[in-house]
Amino acid sequence: MNAAPKVLLIEDEKQIRRFVRLAVEEEGCQVSEAETMAQGLIDAGLSKPDLLILDLGLPDGNGIDLIRDLRGWSDVPILILSARSQENDKIDALDAGADDYLTKPFSVGELRARVRALLRRRSRSGDGAGPVVEFGDVAVDLSRRVVLRAGAEVHLTPIEYRLLATLLGHPGKVLTQRNLLREIWGPSYVESSHYLRVYVGHLRQKLEDDPAQPKHFLTETGVGYRFQP
Amino acid sequence: MTSEENLIGLTTDRFKPWQRAMLTALACSATTLLATPLLGHLDLANIVMLFLLTVLLIAVSLGRGAAVLAAVLSVLLFDIFFVPPRFSLAVSNLQYLVTFAVMLATGLIAGQLAAILKQKAHEAEVREHSTQALYDVARQLAGTLAVEQAVTIARQFIGAQLEAAAAVLLPGEDGVLPADVPAAGVRIEPHLARVALDSAQPVHDSEIGGSGYASLYLPLRASQRVRGVLAIAFPAGAPNLPPERLALLEALASLLAIAVERLHYVEVAQATQLDMVAERLRSSILSALSHDLRTPLTALVGLADSLSLIRPPLPRPALETAQAMHEQAARLAGLVGNLLDMARLNAGKVTLRREWQPLEEVIGAAIKLLGGALTDHPVRVALPAALPLLEFDAVLLERVFCNLLENAAKFAPAGPPIEITAELLEDCVAIRVCDRGPGFPAGDRGTLFEMFARGREFAARPGTGLGLAISRAIVEAHGGTITAGDREGGGACVCFTLPRGTPPVVEEESA
Repeated sequence: MNAAPKVLLIEDEKQIRRFVRLAVEEEGCQVSEAETMAQGLIDAGLSKPDLLILDLGLPDGNGIDLIRDLRGWSDVPILILSARSQENDKIDALDAGADDYLTKPFSVGELRARVRALLRRRSRSGDGAGPVVEFGDVAVDLSRRVVLRAGAEVHLTPIEYRLLATLLGHPGKVLTQRNLLREIWGPSYVESSHYLRVYVGHLRQKLEDDPAQPKHFLTETGVGYRFQP
Repeated sequence: MTSEENLIGLTTDRFKPWQRAMLTALACSATTLLATPLLGHLDLANIVMLFLLTVLLIAVSLGRGAAVLAAVLSVLLFDIFFVPPRFSLAVSNLQYLVTFAVMLATGLIAGQLAAILKQKAHEAEVREHSTQALYDVARQLAGTLAVEQAVTIARQFIGAQLEAAAAVLLPGEDGVLPADVPAAGVRIEPHLARVALDSAQPVHDSEIGGSGYASLYLPLRASQRVRGVLAIAFPAGAPNLPPERLALLEALASLLAIAVERLHYVEVAQATQLDMVAERLRSSILSALSHDLRTPLTALVGLADSLSLIRPPLPRPALETAQAMHEQAARLAGLVGNLLDMARLNAGKVTLRREWQPLEEVIGAAIKLLGGALTDHPVRVALPAALPLLEFDAVLLERVFCNLLENAAKFAPAGPPIEITAELLEDCVAIRVCDRGPGFPAGDRGTLFEMFARGREFAARPGTGLGLAISRAIVEAHGGTITAGDREGGGACVCFTLPRGTPPVVEEESA
C-alpha cells in the first residue's frame, strides 16, 4: 500500500501557502505548513516529509542554513521558492543541497510539474535505475560507457563523457556551475566557468537535435544546468 | 658679525662684550692679589702656573676674546708685580722674556682650544635641538586628520626654527599647482615651484629672496610620487642658506610629504567606504521593494490559477475569469519586474557578473524562458560557426534577448520566423534580432530607447516602453551599442554589439 506522500511547506506568506497547498494536494499529497524556519526544522524532524518546499526569504533566518542543517541527517528533496533578483541565494541554496527552484511568480502548473518530478525521482531512487538511460533518440549505457544516437555510436571525449554521466546521474535536478566544475575538473577550476560552457556546448552539438534550442541539456541562466530526460 | 661668533654668542649671551672684558680684568687682578703674599714662599715659575690656570678658566667660561685679553693682561701683571724690578715693565733678567712668550702662547692656544670645544658643544646642542623639534613635528604630523592641519604644523615649525614664512602648494586633481596661496602671506614664483615639482629636486634662487617672494622650493617627495611643493620665504637680510638648515628643511619636507600621502590614502579609503555603504543601501532598498511588490503578485498569480483546482469545478465563465485574472496578474508581475530592473540599472553603477560563454546558450535560455509567448513565432538562430566566446553577464543578456523577442512577437504577425543572427566584426560582434512586422515608425527612432518611449501607433498595445530602455542600459553597461533599423524586405531589426576582447583558451583534450 502506498501512503500519500507527505509535503512540508515552509513559507511565511499566508496567501502563497494557500494556493501552494491547493496545488500540491491536487497531486495527491498530504501537506503540512510551517511559517518560520525554526518551526520548519522541528516539523521536518518530526514528520519526516517526502518533499520540502522552502521559501528562501523567511523572516527568522536564512533558508540556506536550514538546508545545511537538514542535509546533515536527511536527503529529502527540497524545492526552493525565490525571487528573480536572488541569483546568488539560489546558487547557495543549490550548493547547500537543494534540488530545484521556482522563481516567483510561478504558475500552479509549473509548481505541480516540479513537485511531480521530485516525488517521482524520490520513489525511483530506491530501486536502482538501470545502467541504460534513454532520452530523445539517445541511449547511454553507463555500464559499458557506450553512447548511441539513433542506433549509431557517438564518440565522446573522456571529459564529455564524465560531464554527461554526472548530468544523467541527477535527472531533473539543477546542478550549479560550481558543483559541476568541482566534480569534473577539480576544485581549482571552480572559477573557470567557460570550460563547463564549452563542454556543455559539445554535448549539445553531439546529442541535441537543435543545439541552439536544447531540449535535454537545459541552461539555468546564471545558476547552472539541468538534465531533462 | 660672523655666524661663528653668533653661535658662540648664543651660549654666552648673558654677558655683553664689555662685561666679559671687565670680568677678565677682575679675575686677573684677583689672581695678582692672591699671588702677592705668596711671593716669598713660591717660585716665580709656580706663580706663572697660577696665571695660566686663570687664563684657562677664563677661556672655558668666557670664550676666545676673553682668553686673548686674559693672556695679555696676565703677562703684563706678572711682569709689573712679580718680575724684578717690581712695579715696572722693565725686565732685569732677559730669561723672563722667554717666560712671557711661553705664557702668552700657552694662554692663546688654551683659549683657542677651549673656544673650539665650546663651539662643538654648542653645535651639538643646536643639532639636538632641531632633532628634537623634528621629532615633535613628526609626532604632531602623525596625528593630523586633515591636510590643512599638517600644513599649519609645518609652517609653525619653520616660523619657530628659522623665523621664515612658508607656504605649501598642493597640485589639484589636474596636477596643476595653484599660482598662489593667499593665506600664507608668501609670494610664489610659479615657474620655480613647477620645476621643483617636476624635477623632485630642491630649487633655490637667492636673487629673489627678501622681497617677500619665496626663494626656496622643496618638493614633497613621498613613496609614490611628489605630493606638492614647500615654498619658504626668508626675511630680508637673512644669511645665505647654510647646509645644516637646508638639511633640516628637507627633513621637514619629507615628514610633511609622508603626512600628506597618508592623508590622501585616508581620503581614498573613506570615499571607497562611502561608495560601498551607498551601494549596499541602494541594493537593500531595491531588494526590500522587490520582495514587497512580488509577494502579493505571486499570491495573486497563484490564487487565480488555483481557482481551477476547486472541487466541484467552478462554472465555465468563472474559470475563464480566473484565467484572465491569472494573465493580468502575470503581466503586472512582468511590468513590476521591468520597473525594478530599470531602477536597479539606473541606481548608479551596474555590477556585471561577466563570464566568458557562448552566445548560443543564452539565446537558447531566453527562447525557453519565453516558452508559450513564442508558439506562433518560431525563432531561427543562425550564428557563425567561428563565433568566439564572449564575456557578458548571462542573466542580463538573457533579459535583452527576452525583451527583443517579446517585442518581435508582439508586433510581427504570426507565421514568419524571428531571426537571430550574429556577425563577427573587427573588435566586436554585431547581433541582430529581426522580424517581419510593420517595422519601427520612422519619426520615433531617436527616442525608441528612451525610458517610457512607445511608438505612437502602438500606444493602445500593452507595455510600459521599458523593454528597449532596459536593453540599452544592459548593452551599454557591457560596452556595446544598440540601434534600431529596418529589415530588408520589410520588418524591424534591432542590432546590438558586444566587444570581443580576448577570450580565454580552453585546451583541447588529448584523447
